[in-house]
Amino acid sequence: MRIACPFCGERENGEFTYLGDASPKRPNFAIDGGEVVEDAFYDYVYLRDNVAGVMREYWYHGGGCRSWLVAERNTVTHEFISVKAAPGAGAAKPAQAGE
Amino acid sequence: MADFSWTTQSPLKKALVPGRHGAAGATAGVTLTEMRDIVLMQVMARRGKAAETAKAAKKLFGVEPPVSPKAVSGKGATLVWSGPDQFTVFAPRSDEAAQLEAMTKAFAGSASLSDQCDGRCLIRVSGPRARDAIAKFSSLDLHDSVFPVGSSANTSVDHTAVNFWRDANGADGTPVYSMLVFTSFADSLWHVILDSSLEYGVEASSARAA
Ligand SMILES: [Zn+2]
Repeated sequence: MRIACPFCGERENGEFTYLGDASPKRPNFAIDGGEVVEDAFYDYVYLRDNVAGVMREYWYHGGGCRSWLVAERNTVTHEFISVKAAPGAGAAKPAQAGE
Repeated sequence: MADFSWTTQSPLKKALVPGRHGAAGATAGVTLTEMRDIVLMQVMARRGKAAETAKAAKKLFGVEPPVSPKAVSGKGATLVWSGPDQFTVFAPRSDEAAQLEAMTKAFAGSASLSDQCDGRCLIRVSGPRARDAIAKFSSLDLHDSVFPVGSSANTSVDHTAVNFWRDANGADGTPVYSMLVFTSFADSLWHVILDSSLEYGVEASSARAA
């Protein structure tokens, strides 16, 4: 399996580490507050969909440029549909809120 | 308290045996050289300060740092891409304190610096069969069309991080590759490179970086 890092180009998967589902959004205490946020945190920390098909995942290119990446991968065929820099990767752009 | 003093020595002190190894022949297929007396600095632009960092580099070295996996040579130093908004400065050592001081001043406020002078070891792999030897331990595509002179890559060799770049061709027109490896892994990686090169005949030595 080869993964096309948006910074380094195509590399063997041994240079990357899988970090799991990129979809969960961290709940916001200031906005949600109270018991609602406790439930939301439980979901955020523990609950994951077991997708058969295309999902968004975090990958880390630790054996290369040490950047966090978000990949769309088909869990059935292992086909990578896209690999992009995770929000905040690199210092040029300020981190995007929400992810 | 007992007196204690640090003595600088090469991490390849034991591994590097100068001279000819492996297959005999008129010319060695692979030349391995430890480049000694080097200055290395990791430069990481601070959040939102990438443009400012590039400007500071241009002022100090006369060239913009690479924004893609490349190695560019400037005034007295080579700037090697090492990730988004970061690069490694490699320079032959002249006056180390003055060299570090110049960078500290130039990048003050725009980038974070990390002195790697004694953290990494620079191994140069060259010669007509260098690419064949490297192909045994690296998964990089080193074909001329993919990895021409001036290309660089952050990669893993034997599960160890390596900053890799291609220098100008040697006098005989054969490729020259630089491998920057962690000091503590240099001994092990040297053996990996040497073992991979033996069948082509190896000339090993150390040299002062110039
Ligand atoms: Zn990468």
